[in-house]
Amino acid sequence: MAQTPVIELRHIQKHFGTLHVLKDINLSVAQGEVVVIIGPSGSGKSTLCRTINRLETIDSGEILIDGAALPQEGRELARLRAQVGMVFQSFNLFAHKTVLDNVTIGPMDVLKTPKQQAREEAMTLLRRVGVDTQAAKLPAQLSGGQQQRVAIARALAMHPKAILFDEPTSALDPEMIGEVLEVMTRLAREGMTMVVVTHEMGFARKVADRVVFMDSGEILEQNTPEEFFTHPQTKRAQDFLDSILKH
Amino acid sequence: MDISTLLTQFGDKYWLALLTTWQLTVISFAGALVLGVLLTVCRVAPVMPLRWVGDFYVQIFRNIPGAALLILLVYALPYLKVVLPYKTCVLTATTLIPAAFCSEYLMAGMNTVGKGQIEAARSLGMTFPQILKNVVMPQALRSSVLPLTNLLVATMLTTALASQVPLNPTDLTGLVSYINTHAVGGVTAFFISAVLYCGTAVVIGQLGSWLDRKVRLQR
Ligand SMILES: Nc1ncnc2c1ncn2[C@@H]1O[C@H](COP(=O)(O)OP(=O)(O)OP(=O)(O)O)[C@@H](O)[C@H]1O
Ligand SMILES: [Mg+2]
Repeated sequence: MAQTPVIELRHIQKHFGTLHVLKDINLSVAQGEVVVIIGPSGSGKSTLCRTINRLETIDSGEILIDGAALPQEGRELARLRAQVGMVFQSFNLFAHKTVLDNVTIGPMDVLKTPKQQAREEAMTLLRRVGVDTQAAKLPAQLSGGQQQRVAIARALAMHPKAILFDEPTSALDPEMIGEVLEVMTRLAREGMTMVVVTHEMGFARKVADRVVFMDSGEILEQNTPEEFFTHPQTKRAQDFLDSILKH
Repeated sequence: MDISTLLTQFGDKYWLALLTTWQLTVISFAGALVLGVLLTVCRVAPVMPLRWVGDFYVQIFRNIPGAALLILLVYALPYLKVVLPYKTCVLTATTLIPAAFCSEYLMAGMNTVGKGQIEAARSLGMTFPQILKNVVMPQALRSSVLPLTNLLVATMLTTALASQVPLNPTDLTGLVSYINTHAVGGVTAFFISAVLYCGTAVVIGQLGSWLDRKVRLQR
């Protein structure tokens, strides 16, 4: 219980110009916990996710990774950032590198892992996500689902303390969503600490330990999936659930 | 004189001149590539003075005529007690100017690299120099093959500046002046040089398109 949270956000405030996108956000994610963030479009889910490893700057507040404050910039930030993986909606694989090189580049360049070891670990990870047979190909030769699984392997290769997912299946054709969610579900079961922004309510119900509901830059509710989906506490969460259940 | 007489009399000199032009071109272009990459790194660095230096360099050397630069190197530098050999002066001019253009092409090439890839690299913990080296520069170079091919041809044509200083062996353009002061080569002497320039340019163009097809990234 007294364990240090892997991720802790304290009183985060952020503006885009005059738009107040994050309003006094407090969130802590424990070791091995899976937190799913949901909310209407424009509510600040992506921004919140991106502030956790400072891809977005913040106006005020504190970000702690495993109890250590994330610095504003520089080498130290790069070092701490490497401890939190990120998987993007648009995969963002390095277009000029093979699948294998996409996975080995981080460990080799940032963690200074020897090449041979990095390759062996990468092949093991690619096998885990089921794309080891594509190792020599370029990203553009893979399907979206395969690319996203490579992106997950790339994040895992850094041995991160947590992985952030920003709508990892939103850019995928419907028949490929399942294969990516399946990999994520397995990761969650294996104890990976995860923060997932998603519209996949099935995944949230089945895998999340906690659902966080955001609207207009605020966290309005946090609860277990059963509680949240059956007894939302706020009118806005109720409306949001009604709107997505209609579709 | 007709072509065959010219070639019998000056054939080996044309060969040497062609080799000289090629040599000047290769050295200048290699230098321009290295300098162009360095300038581009400066121009995107998160350090203001470096950016200024890079932008200033490009503004100057993109706009200065080659002949003017060569004159400065040959006649003005000695006032600063710097006396360079003629060949070094030529190579300096034919490297500094293409380097500015090289940097412009690379800056354009960098814009083809998606912002998302840079964010992915940042989230892996890469530092700015690592991102440039691993992600941005390799892709900028790949997407700049065609403009850089044109720059290679332009660099070759710029090496004709060598004809303005005494060199032995001289380059293709210098040889035309040489022949016309020692014999009456007329337009024909120039014609032979022109064919050699064009032939080289065609080969460069073909190699460039081949390389472009090989390294271009599908998106
Ligand atoms: N770089 C930016 N500059 C200015 N405004 C931005 C920027 N990024 C996001 N915004 C704005 O901030 C608000 C929150 O954006 P954010 O992307 O975090 O929402 P979201 O909850 O992820 O939405 P979605 O479900 O559509 O992805 C939106 O109104 C958006 O227009
Ligand atoms: Mg979003």
